Amino acid sequence: MHISFLIHNAYGIGGTIRTTYNLADTLSEQHDVEIVSVFRHRDAPVFEPGARVRLRHLVDLRKDSPDYDGEDPAFLHEARIFPRAEGRFRQYSALTDRRIAAHLRSLEADVVVGTRPGLNVHIARQARRGVARVGQEHLTLDSHGRALVRRLRAVYPRLDAVTTVTEADARSYRKRLRLPGVRIEAVPNSVPEPGIRPADGTGKWVVAAGRLDKVKRYDLLIRAFATVVEQRPDWRLRIYGGGAEKAALRALIDELGLYNHIYLMGPASPLDPEWAKGSIAVVTSRLESFGMTIVEAMRCGLPVVSTNCPLGPGEIIDDGVDGRLVPVGKKDAIASALLELINDDERRQRMGRAALVSSARFDPGRIAGRYEALFGDLTTTGGGRGGLRATVHRTRGALLSGAYATKDAARAAVRGVRTV
Amino acid sequence: MSASTQLPATGTGTRPPQRIALRADCIADSAGGLTFDIAVPGAAGEDAGTVWGAALVLRLRGGEPPADEIRLPLGPNGAGRLRAVLPSTVALAEGRWNVYADLGDAGDPQRLLPGLNDLRSLVDRRPLAAIGRLGVRIPYATKYGNLALRSWLRGPHAESGEITVAPDGITVQGRLYGAALEPGAAAEARARRDGHTVTIPLRGDGPDFAFVLPHGPLAEQWRAGTERWDLWVRTGEVAEPVRISRILDDVPDKKQIFTYPAMPIAAPGAQVRVGPYFTVDNDLSVKVVGPQEHS
Repeated sequence: MHISFLIHNAYGIGGTIRTTYNLADTLSEQHDVEIVSVFRHRDAPVFEPGARVRLRHLVDLRKDSPDYDGEDPAFLHEARIFPRAEGRFRQYSALTDRRIAAHLRSLEADVVVGTRPGLNVHIARQARRGVARVGQEHLTLDSHGRALVRRLRAVYPRLDAVTTVTEADARSYRKRLRLPGVRIEAVPNSVPEPGIRPADGTGKWVVAAGRLDKVKRYDLLIRAFATVVEQRPDWRLRIYGGGAEKAALRALIDELGLYNHIYLMGPASPLDPEWAKGSIAVVTSRLESFGMTIVEAMRCGLPVVSTNCPLGPGEIIDDGVDGRLVPVGKKDAIASALLELINDDERRQRMGRAALVSSARFDPGRIAGRYEALFGDLTTTGGGRGGLRATVHRTRGALLSGAYATKDAARAAVRGVRTV
Repeated sequence: MSASTQLPATGTGTRPPQRIALRADCIADSAGGLTFDIAVPGAAGEDAGTVWGAALVLRLRGGEPPADEIRLPLGPNGAGRLRAVLPSTVALAEGRWNVYADLGDAGDPQRLLPGLNDLRSLVDRRPLAAIGRLGVRIPYATKYGNLALRSWLRGPHAESGEITVAPDGITVQGRLYGAALEPGAAAEARARRDGHTVTIPLRGDGPDFAFVLPHGPLAEQWRAGTERWDLWVRTGEVAEPVRISRILDDVPDKKQIFTYPAMPIAAPGAQVRVGPYFTVDNDLSVKVVGPQEHS
């Protein structure tokens, strides 16, 4: 198959970029894969897209480039196809409308995959006949405003499939959007096996990682850890990441006198070696559209104590087996779940080993196999707007995905993220 | 000429061809040794095992080759992989060392990029206190994204542990390596401005020590701006003082990560703030910050 991804900016840093690269790289073992970036603002991408994946852009924002597009008059005019209610609307323009339209009109692919709502709208309206149209949702439907949801409800029926990263979000798409004949499927993000030995669970460190944003509730984590330190002053906490909340969190650590026990480590990349130094990972977020760091920590052999927040953590962690799920916003619940694992070395290490096994279902090979099965179904049924489109449970997809040997095992291992 | 002018001049440009950059994965052992693993792709990788002159080259930043250059044999370690070992017994001068690979192909040694640094054995490192001289090397990525080593070579060494800031002073707990505390041992705070020294009694328990540095004597000496004091341990009445620092873990730069609150204290004619901090060399100092200054 020829698979073409359409992404906002493949040259930056971000979860969508990383997960798209992982998926594209793995699919490129069997297929012809390209990533088309609407914008390019730097010469080289920050992440490595994989040797077989072709990468190109539509609008050049490098001021020193001979093809700099920032002075095109159309660049200053508001976009009309890219929806106004989308978060990135202001970065789009009459120029992006034109370039994306030309790209989609001429695209000779079997499958085109959009990676955010605004681009999915372009694909729904402008992709050629005969190209299967897939719109990915990397956030959640509930995170979008009403105006955008109305727009998606009007346009998404022209897609062939919508993918979400959680089963819960897929349910919410089915319930709130009611897209007749559009296949809605949950496919989690993939996380590769780390290149280092997993943690052995003997170190006395708890590790958290993510942007220092309010939604991550690191203030709550710091207060919960004060309770932990009262009982177990030999355990300490490292928080990786940078962000707007840093000064407030620093002040809170100092105010509580926890500066010998809690460290704000700053951003780290890659993170795997930092997880491997810990024995427990912790997530205290109010919201996690997926929960990438949970999977990353588990792949390094750490049990994760996480709030059971919407939507991701509950579909990743098997409470009491490979981690702990606690209610959102409850300091004492976080502290006691951490202390449970801190005070029971054998249980902690057993859960770490379980995390290592269960998180293998997020391996790029398995996730790519699920995408391949989906793409195979869509192309078999005629792609584009074929009349047979609704008959999605065809065997061809399974045959195609046989190329990824891990796929069937993945189906068996997947809990709560079963395909439609 | 900027790099972009070499790109294809089409509206939808493709990726420019890139020179193959080599990455080294570093694994630290708890004794202070480091192993470097380099994946060499393609033809160079197939030949890599047969090149006798291949070496990992360490160059001290600001140093003078060849004296400040160390070459370690780079040998085959499976297909397309090379390995070099820096044992703890090879002394590395204190400072920052850039890391290169010389593949023996007559080209200039190639600067290495950081791969995965597995430093878990350094995290709670606690060598034997009797060790004469401590060698510490922490691999890290420079701000330009290259691989470098931060190195310390100290003996005797006074390692800072927990530090507590309270109204009665700054309590420093630590551990002494390569020397024993004798009668008359003391801690010292020395003003960088004029060398004025405040001497504080030291409690010792085997290699472990602790002292409380009161804020008053430092605040009293304050004149203007930000004034800095360096902290030392004198192990006996006639012993050479040992700088207090924190080097026994996996964090190459402590300054931004190991931070402490400051205490408001009355000084002559002003209210100052007194608080401990780690310098860019991970040595422990105290800042006395005047009312007009940002700490």
